[in-house]
Amino acid sequence: MKNLAVRLKDILGLRRSQAGPVFDLLFSRFKEVLEENNRALEIITDMGDKLGGDYLFDIAYLETAYSKLSFAVRDSLFTFDLLTQKRYPHLHGAVDRVESSIKKMLYNIATSGEMVVFYRDISWDTSHEVGGKNANLAEVRNYLRLNVPDAFVITTHAFDSFLGYNGIDKQIEVLKGGEPQESALRQLRDSVLTAKIPSETGRVVEKALEEMKSRYGEKCFLAVRSSAEEEDADFSFAGQFDTRLNIPPELTAVMAAYKEVVASLFSPRAVSYQRQLGYPPGQMKMAVGCMAMVDAAVSGVMYSSHPAGDANTLLINAAWGLGSTVVEGRSDADLYVLEKKADPEIVDSRTGGKEVMATAGKERGIETIRTPGDMKMMQSLTGEQAKELARQAILIERHFRKPQDIEWAIDRKGKIFILQTRPLKVDETTGSSLSAFRIVPRRGIPGESADGSSDAKVLTRDKGVVIQRGVGAGRVFIARHPEELDLFPKGAVLVAAHDSSDYVRVMPYVSAIITDVGTPTSHMASLCREFRVPTVVNTGNATGILVHGEEITLDADGEGNATVYRGIRKELLDSAAARSARMDDLHEFRKKRYILRYIAPLNLVDPLMDDFTPEGCKTMHDIIRFIHEKSVTELVENAQEAKMRSQTLVKLDISVPAGIVVIDMGGGLDAAEEQRSISLERVSSLPLRALIKGMIHPGLWKSDTVSLKVNDFLSSMMRMSDIVTDNATHSGYNLAVVTREYLNLSLRFGYHFTTLDCYCSETARNNHIYFRFAGGATDITKRSRRISLIATVLKGYGFSTKTKGDLLTARLSTMGRDEIEVILDHLGRLIAYTRQLDAVLHDDSAVERYIKNFTVGNYDL
Amino acid sequence: MNAYRIMVIDDEKIVGDMAKMSLEKDGYMVETFLNAEPALARLREQKFDVVVTDLKMKGIDGMEVLRTVKKLYPETRVIMITAFANLDAAIEALRAEVHDFFPKPVKIKELKASIQRALGG
Repeated sequence: MKNLAVRLKDILGLRRSQAGPVFDLLFSRFKEVLEENNRALEIITDMGDKLGGDYLFDIAYLETAYSKLSFAVRDSLFTFDLLTQKRYPHLHGAVDRVESSIKKMLYNIATSGEMVVFYRDISWDTSHEVGGKNANLAEVRNYLRLNVPDAFVITTHAFDSFLGYNGIDKQIEVLKGGEPQESALRQLRDSVLTAKIPSETGRVVEKALEEMKSRYGEKCFLAVRSSAEEEDADFSFAGQFDTRLNIPPELTAVMAAYKEVVASLFSPRAVSYQRQLGYPPGQMKMAVGCMAMVDAAVSGVMYSSHPAGDANTLLINAAWGLGSTVVEGRSDADLYVLEKKADPEIVDSRTGGKEVMATAGKERGIETIRTPGDMKMMQSLTGEQAKELARQAILIERHFRKPQDIEWAIDRKGKIFILQTRPLKVDETTGSSLSAFRIVPRRGIPGESADGSSDAKVLTRDKGVVIQRGVGAGRVFIARHPEELDLFPKGAVLVAAHDSSDYVRVMPYVSAIITDVGTPTSHMASLCREFRVPTVVNTGNATGILVHGEEITLDADGEGNATVYRGIRKELLDSAAARSARMDDLHEFRKKRYILRYIAPLNLVDPLMDDFTPEGCKTMHDIIRFIHEKSVTELVENAQEAKMRSQTLVKLDISVPAGIVVIDMGGGLDAAEEQRSISLERVSSLPLRALIKGMIHPGLWKSDTVSLKVNDFLSSMMRMSDIVTDNATHSGYNLAVVTREYLNLSLRFGYHFTTLDCYCSETARNNHIYFRFAGGATDITKRSRRISLIATVLKGYGFSTKTKGDLLTARLSTMGRDEIEVILDHLGRLIAYTRQLDAVLHDDSAVERYIKNFTVGNYDL
Repeated sequence: MNAYRIMVIDDEKIVGDMAKMSLEKDGYMVETFLNAEPALARLREQKFDVVVTDLKMKGIDGMEVLRTVKKLYPETRVIMITAFANLDAAIEALRAEVHDFFPKPVKIKELKASIQRALGG
């Protein structure tokens, strides 16, 4: 029971913090930042929801939501400036930059105005400037991170300027009246072919060519290809426009090819096709891609879904040399049919005659030659190459949510390149599941599987919180540590104990994500929505139930909770595709959704990375993340200061010789003001209580001082002068600054130092643990072993860690209160367990042994 | 089989596009209009079972659509959607026998449920 006077003072707000007003103010600002950030994150989550395809929304909604978000972020920034005393002035520039992009999208004025753009710089919002074909390939390169040859695009702005400069726009205007005559079109094409290139365009193209040459040398020949607006996006335009291959990297040659490609926009066939799609002549703009030619040993085309047969198979056509013989169907190519699954399997193959093959001409252009006799009947792909191509096709199909018609090449070093991808025309009359409208019966009735088959075993039912609806299937990959993601197989289902923004690394490849714990507002959750990865968190014990390597299907497509089935449930995947793919097909919908690109994605994933800077912020979410991380840093640093200034301390009376004294900032201790010591029962600070509980756990303190070897002893002597002081009060060691939900603790145990900063509230995304560990009495090898042991254990709890010599820093955020308390308990044990552990870590194998001991609760040294 | 006819009037293309796509999936025949004038002209030649209309539009607004529909086809149900949750407008619409009234963004599932109720389902 708290002393009445103290409680009254608490209620009236009269109880001054013993740490002084400065830290008080700082702490209240910190909490304000958290609240404002939360407001912003809630709006972001809401926008993701409302723009997810389940709601009818209009521009008024976007404007209102954006304006609320803007206020919340600006409020947070204002408080953040006060908190950090304007330590990050460049963050304002970042907010302005992001906001200006959003406004441009919102008011439909998104345009870079660039004449030339490299693939690496293409994003969704500028895709209309580069044409559909280039935009698709840029996504394959930038999002899926598959190999695409280096390329730049002469944009639609350059197209406008080219037509305007030569008065061709007026010529087109005349055509718009009625059905254009063939003669008028021929005239138009002639005008294009003889037109002058504006000097500005010539200059930037020249510069781009220089960059290509500097990378590939003078031998860098180019493929110059059409990429009209919408081409390959909603409509395939297959074969409508011209392509020029093997063009030398000289301005005259490239611009001549450019004019030929542009002129093809006005061929009678292309004009008639545009008309069918509702484009009057002259309305469609054309961008042109200039791509480095691949010195292809083998190339071809693949269909990510069999257009006529089993949609669960895919087709690969392959032939020697360049791909033009396959694309144009001029050669009897090799054919491979593969079953679409995580590890694709060749179910059929046929070796074609391959009479002719295409090679690059010496000067320019393509030559068709007779295939050398011994190569004709030789299969052009190895089994492994066919499988890898299949894997990439599956990935691309999943990304674009439609079967794809993909051109590819393999260079002489065996590297696969994707050269083009466009929607595969599937015959609507065949009733292929991907083209049919289907109304899907409700599923998830307990005890009944969708297809009625008995082997469809339910592994978990109605568990967890659905973050992103959908169905995903693949092999289970249980990730215990972030490093294991390096081994993550494309198309697998990621199963983990916690949610973590580390998983962004595998987002493009992951079929689904399932975690034991997690929250719908975490950074990972936003990423999953952004990448549209079917995701369910908080399932309780998925890592325990699901088996590494087994095939499962997550069905999170219905209302409510999610169900996990054993095996691949194709019918669920199909029906989900039938339902979800269509809204994405709406051009208006995609256009409006683009705005989320500047709002929801999280690029600043890891605070330990170099790009964790204001300049690195590309979205509103990034800004919020940056503010949060740096606010924690500010708090940690100032908490140290506050301790130095503090006068009144309360000693923590516990059963182990930890020598901790506490400064209560409010609600952290159930103590009278004049009280000088306090028992654990009267500690009301949640994080401190949890940590101490762990620290005094039975079995951790039974061993006496571990004997130091002579070297260790000398080593510790040399370091004494830095650290030895028993006067805890003002040395800054073994002091805790607390509130009910906050703990900042600096500990010295033996010869090592621990700093722990933790916020532990009801709101998971506000919570964090920052842990820093340094020093030791033994030689650096042993100390490093201890660091590596601690790092391994912390990673197991989901911390991201960084070590440098014998210094370890680790961070963890977005954890529920209960979970934080469990982790703190374990951290308490770890701190006590490792206090002298370095002395016994004689070799590297000992590290593993002691990790194992710790994990099973054996604390003997 | 005769499918139910549904008309959607909203001056923003995205609303009509999304409504059409999701309602057609359920087997309805859907026509969309960006303003009320051609919509009412179409209504004079073809009866619709349900009309979903935006309240605030340039020219003829949703209230007028509602009154005209009721005059032409008393049994046709009208569902009003609006960006502004305006109580007065809602009361007026209810008096004029609107079937349902939704603020935007409206959950497609709820709109569908409302349409089903309107059709006596």
